[in-house]
Amino acid sequence: MGLLELNGVLIDETFAEAFPMKATRIVVTAHNPTWAMHAAASATGFATSVIACGCEAAIERVLGADETPDGRPGVAILLFAMSGKELAKQVERRVGQCVLTCPTTAVFAGLAEGEAIALGKNLRFFGDGWQTSKVINGVRYWRVPTMDGEFVAQETTAVTKGVGGGNLLLLGGDTDAALAGAEAAVAAMRGVRNVIMPFPGGVVRSGSKVGSKYPALMASTNDAYCPSLIGLAPKTELTADIRCVMEIVIDGLTDVDVANAMRAGIAAIVDRGAAAGVKRISAGNYGGKLGPFHFHLHKLVPGAGA
Amino acid sequence: MSGYRFTLKQQPALRVDASALQPAALASLSLGEVEKLALPHGKDRLPVGELFTVQARDDGPLMLEGDLARFDRLGCGLAEGELHVRGSVGAYAGAGMTGGRLVVDADAGDLTGCAMRGGWLEVHGHVGDLAASALPGDMDGMRGGTLVVRGNAGARLADRMRRGTVVVFGDAGNFMASRMVAGTLALAGRCGTHAAYGMRRGSIVFAGSAPTLAPTFVPVDSNADVFWQLLARDLARFGGPFAGLAQRRVARHAGDLAVLGKGELLLPT
Repeated sequence: MGLLELNGVLIDETFAEAFPMKATRIVVTAHNPTWAMHAAASATGFATSVIACGCEAAIERVLGADETPDGRPGVAILLFAMSGKELAKQVERRVGQCVLTCPTTAVFAGLAEGEAIALGKNLRFFGDGWQTSKVINGVRYWRVPTMDGEFVAQETTAVTKGVGGGNLLLLGGDTDAALAGAEAAVAAMRGVRNVIMPFPGGVVRSGSKVGSKYPALMASTNDAYCPSLIGLAPKTELTADIRCVMEIVIDGLTDVDVANAMRAGIAAIVDRGAAAGVKRISAGNYGGKLGPFHFHLHKLVPGAGA
Repeated sequence: MSGYRFTLKQQPALRVDASALQPAALASLSLGEVEKLALPHGKDRLPVGELFTVQARDDGPLMLEGDLARFDRLGCGLAEGELHVRGSVGAYAGAGMTGGRLVVDADAGDLTGCAMRGGWLEVHGHVGDLAASALPGDMDGMRGGTLVVRGNAGARLADRMRRGTVVVFGDAGNFMASRMVAGTLALAGRCGTHAAYGMRRGSIVFAGSAPTLAPTFVPVDSNADVFWQLLARDLARFGGPFAGLAQRRVARHAGDLAVLGKGELLLPT
């Protein structure tokens, strides 16, 4: 495998393999940033992987009052699922249980183009007949009476094609080094629009491979990148000086967005240099069998061009 | 789009049904065909060429010039294109519109925009009674689109209105929004008596002076800031007295409790 060395950091000649998903963005606003964040954090909880969560979701970014439909502080959330039907189910459950319930919140579509799925369309029935609708400039909103006043929800949000599964593997000399590198990379990637890193803190330590020795499991530990299995597993991708690997998974609205996020993450690690502890960057793929989107790391390094 | 400018030669003796003057329909006709187009005039029909001087134009809206107060149903059923009248028009202007744009530089008669379902209808002068209301015998009034009245509106404005937006910069007559089913009505001036009589749903914004409220409307002091901001920011595009609504707080009154009672009167303070 060819390696590229930048600022002492080795970059594997490999690619991250991503696959198509269905995606939507919703905007949650509230009386102040704290409550908007409470709602957003709750709505995107337990949404790290479609393997068992139904969807992958996270906060995309915090919105200022000048960026939201109602002029209040807000948070943009991105949600990804493997089908439009599943995404619709997840949006309804999460908004119904986590946003409708959260004091002072309102919810709006964050995408204008795409197939419409219900946002407040069905949640309105919580109003038990007291709900009212209003069409403003061609957009229908529902107003559901609640104990703090009313919950306002746009009737639908739009679903678009997204890209899930972009990833970076950060190989470090120890836990401190790998964690610090991952945190720096995630911080840089959060500056990129239209992407989320759905795992806790944006980082996953339990990178997986497809399949398992146990037939019931569709994924299992990525043994080739487990330092504890060096010399034990039949195949390893690690050298003896690597003792901790962290993965960052990226979902984006387009492949360009995912590539931009990976580019930002790689640049952050390269800027820090190998002396900061992350010695190598790699990526996970399945030989091109999983998805049509291939993000080659050497095309994303600083100076490689867009 | 239409390529024609109509200039009125003289007032017709009787009322004329001008609903055939549609931008899209005329665009496909030659000048000769347009001049021969017959419009109902009383019991008879008169060719356009006898009523108007017609000039072909390269582009722009279908332009009608002159006092057309005796011309009814102008833009009636308009679905696309733009019709611009430099003068007054008769009754039923823009009735049943589903799209397109109708602009009247002066006054419009009764039933302006009645049964409208879409499009943009703007009257720079006054409108008569029953604007944005239902066609006689119909259950529902305006069902979509936007009606902007720069002057005053007569009685029964938005009677039985069900959907869409009506914006009036001047005053409105008695029984404004009577039996309103839904939709949005914004009024900058004063209104007559019995406003929102029998209102079932919908929103009325009184950007100017507050009306005398019927006892079947109750004050609602709970927080509705989100909805108010959405509505006020949308109304701001009409400018003038509506431009600063979002910066004002609002008092709400719900009713009419004599009927469904899910309507609201919004009084910016």
